[in-house]
Amino acid sequence: MDAAIEVSGLTAYYGSREVLKGLTFGIPRLMTTVVVGGSGCGKTTLLKHLIGLLKPAKGTINVKCGCTSDKCGKDITMMDDAALIEFKKKMGVLFQGAALLNSLSLADNVALPLREHTQLKQPIIDIIVRMKLDLVGLTGFGDYYPAQLSGGMKKRAGIARAMAMDPELLFFDEPSAGLDPVTAAGLDELIISLHKTFKLTLVVVTHELASIFTIADYVIMLDAGNIIFIGTIEELKASPNPKVLAFLQRKAEEEPYRPEDYFKIISGS
Amino acid sequence: MKVDLIDNNGVTVVSPSGEIDMYSSPELRKQLLTLIKKKTSTIIIALHDVTYIDSSGIATFVEALKRMMPYKGKLKIAEVPESIMRIFNFSKLDKVFEMYESVDDAIKG
Repeated sequence: MDAAIEVSGLTAYYGSREVLKGLTFGIPRLMTTVVVGGSGCGKTTLLKHLIGLLKPAKGTINVKCGCTSDKCGKDITMMDDAALIEFKKKMGVLFQGAALLNSLSLADNVALPLREHTQLKQPIIDIIVRMKLDLVGLTGFGDYYPAQLSGGMKKRAGIARAMAMDPELLFFDEPSAGLDPVTAAGLDELIISLHKTFKLTLVVVTHELASIFTIADYVIMLDAGNIIFIGTIEELKASPNPKVLAFLQRKAEEEPYRPEDYFKIISGS
Repeated sequence: MKVDLIDNNGVTVVSPSGEIDMYSSPELRKQLLTLIKKKTSTIIIALHDVTYIDSSGIATFVEALKRMMPYKGKLKIAEVPESIMRIFNFSKLDKVFEMYESVDDAIKG
């Protein structure tokens, strides 16, 4: 597999609680990889490590350029601030709440990375902003402010901003969260369309079953900080793993402890 | 990125090579704006040696065409590699720009 990102032994803690337990996997280049799992399984924490927002306790995250050299890859966990900024210019992120700046219009939100990281002149930035807003179906909304938009439109605007610098890597954190099924399906269609048109490696964190089967080429399933499945969408459907089956069949988890253990926990004995 | 300007029987052919990205496109823009300032009637941009073009490159062509329209200048794009043509097709800009298979076709067209 030609991996765009190779992760090895990734371990992370919140306090003394181990939330990612020595994860090792690759993100295939130019494919859509979906990271799935129940709430609290470590999906968003993993994403924050992949984009360099968090440093792991242990492990490496090698971002590869695609050349054939054995030495290809830069470990983002070892990068200084300047190198990390350079890396971040090549990636785009749609955060769970879209993370638009409420005091800026949509056009200014999309223009922000271009103004911060390039020497492009205003007429060129204006054209790029209109191109990106059109790409996500928001033509004519450049002068609107985030508060004037629906949840789906905010997500689209967030994608436009994530695409502003023409990234090689695009990360989505729960793109469908909080959206009605029709709007969520529209967003999935947009993700597919972007993937088909541009040379992009996509990583999508989600727990939406419909999205997984619509957009995924490759799936990584997490459970309590461990990888319990990794493979193609066809392999996921054929997986005999009971936890994978339970997730796909939307079965509730078994009771985590016996009644007597629960009594001990709440009574403090 | 390198930009060559060629005079082909009185027609100006702009031939960039390499990657046209957010960092190199300002140079291409500078060259095009110099030609437009002189009200060059026809500019042909030959893309055969371009390995990559990003949004800023496309935006540069859009701005150039917009600035040529008032004096009825023509901006023609020729010899577009397939991977770059996909970007034009997706954005429907292949319907806006005059696109030609070769520079000769663009001169005749």
